[in-house]
Amino acid sequence: MSALLAVRDLKVRYPLPGGFPFRAGGKPSWVDVVHGVSLDIERGETVAIVGESGSGKTTLAMALCGLAPVLGGEVRLDGRVLERDRNHRLNPDRKRVALMFQDPVGSLSPRMTVRRLLAEPMRIHGVDSRDPGREASRLLSLVGLGEEFSNRYPHQLSGGQARRVGVARALALSPDLLIADEPTAGLDVSIQGEVLNLLSRLQQDMGLGILIITHNLNVVRHVADRMAIMYLGRFVEQGDSQQVFSRPRHPYTAALLSANPSPDPDAQLDRVQLVGEIPSLLHRPPGCEFHTRCPRARERCTASFPGLTGAAGEQAFNCHFPMD
Amino acid sequence: MSAPILEIRDLSVGYQTERGYLQALRNVSFTVPEGKIIGIVGESGCGKSTLISSIIRLLAPNASIGNGAILFKGQDLLGLSPGDMRFLRGNEISMVFQDPMTSLNPVLTIGRQMADVQHRSGASYIGKRSRSLMMLERVGIPDPASQLGRYPHHLSGGMRQRVAIAMALMTEPSLLIADEPTTALDATLEVQIIARLRELQRDFGCSILFISHHLGVIAELCDEVIVMYAGEVCESGSTREVFLGPRHPYTQRLLECDPARIPQRTRHLPVIEGSLPDLVDVPRGCIFRERCAHSMARCATERPGLSAGLHLSACHLPDLAS
Repeated sequence: MSALLAVRDLKVRYPLPGGFPFRAGGKPSWVDVVHGVSLDIERGETVAIVGESGSGKTTLAMALCGLAPVLGGEVRLDGRVLERDRNHRLNPDRKRVALMFQDPVGSLSPRMTVRRLLAEPMRIHGVDSRDPGREASRLLSLVGLGEEFSNRYPHQLSGGQARRVGVARALALSPDLLIADEPTAGLDVSIQGEVLNLLSRLQQDMGLGILIITHNLNVVRHVADRMAIMYLGRFVEQGDSQQVFSRPRHPYTAALLSANPSPDPDAQLDRVQLVGEIPSLLHRPPGCEFHTRCPRARERCTASFPGLTGAAGEQAFNCHFPMD
Repeated sequence: MSAPILEIRDLSVGYQTERGYLQALRNVSFTVPEGKIIGIVGESGCGKSTLISSIIRLLAPNASIGNGAILFKGQDLLGLSPGDMRFLRGNEISMVFQDPMTSLNPVLTIGRQMADVQHRSGASYIGKRSRSLMMLERVGIPDPASQLGRYPHHLSGGMRQRVAIAMALMTEPSLLIADEPTTALDATLEVQIIARLRELQRDFGCSILFISHHLGVIAELCDEVIVMYAGEVCESGSTREVFLGPRHPYTQRLLECDPARIPQRTRHLPVIEGSLPDLVDVPRGCIFRERCAHSMARCATERPGLSAGLHLSACHLPDLAS
């Protein structure tokens, strides 16, 4: 059986603002934000994507929902290609992929009540619902909010409640795959737990595949079955999350994992220090794209791009000189 | 013990709202000793932002200070005229805000903004420029001379926040207030900023009041920590003591809920049951009572005061930890 979601060599290219002053000096007129990403997600599985800001995590999520200009590669859902038809409309499979946006309050229209917000996806996709009001209360109870919330406006919700409405809205069309972009950003620790517990309960009940995009490594460690580390629009390492945590092979993964601040004041920290800034996507470094910041970089890294090396289990990484 | 830079005594602040008077801070007291980094930790709605806004007197128009005193080097800030207060802000007390993109002016170059901050120094243009260059170098910005002509949107998030820190330290303040300066950043940058802040604090000898809800960052950076809940201080003490032997049930729950402290991988993360009390109609007794596993009859009627000593806790239970 094919995987729920299969992504092969996906590329996203954004055009840069055109016109004379911007393009003078032979600068490229586009930027490759996602640069060849392959990923599988099974039913009932949680996969996490981690990486710094600007590494292309959110763009990848958008591309999976058809919200970003895909240059190449393909996205298959249950073996069927997810693409736009001649009228630039996505095929009906589109509603099986739901996206939870990063900003919980900003992604809800301030002029709609919660009830209307929950009915909107059904209206757009023409899903016949005899009683939108009842459907809205069903969704609300699914995410643990009371009936009284259906008449509220987004500004009357707390961050955690808005998050829950976001989850309910994503579930409105009973998707098979839920993409959660930073589902815990800006939430307090106790509310963060509530949202993650909610997601894992829904996953158990509905067999959802979940793709979590985050830079909170503690969250990844607890909820993700597999994880992928993204740098400059590519995955530098991917594998079983416990395996990656216990034995990172790519130096970037090692640096990222060791940079996690520990809430133990006595912790002895042995950090892999990264030097320099993230390179601009407009000027990708030659060879291994990480060599400008890598503590282990040697001559070969500046010249040739390291191919994918498979390790024990499902772990795979792109590095000439991996960590032991 | 050295004289405190900042002493907050019995401070109460509230907001006039449609529903009535919302008591955002109630009888908050603590001190910031000279040359120390003090962390304030608490969840949203605990009054962290109201507290800093009261210190720098940038409260919303509907806010009013009920009672209390904010002593900065022995002088009560609440008694100062707006003009005197303006003189203190920037010179003696400066701030680093949460989002470096919105705290820097997008239409002015970095160099121009850094020169503007030095308005009061009376230095020449060249003098201001060289001082800006020196500060940028201190916060670890590569090639500072070329950065001065760039705009905030040219810089990455981590660089922007370092520019904001450089600007805040430019006037060598005695107190730096940092309001969640790393929340908008990634783990690797977060660690860089923390290390940089620690280093700068050592060099400049200023005190830092560091606000965060990230427990890991507090544990790494701060000498002492103040835990706030629903507008009250519930525990304070040295970071080590509070994190290793929390006495207040809220602190204990908060620490238990941090996924970073749960070594075993779990699908079901702990949460603090219940919700924040309504601060318009503040319940009698202990503010944490409704969510506390140890509440007793006494908690419903009597508000626990902060215990005495160096590690303070506002709870009726005597030494829960032991």
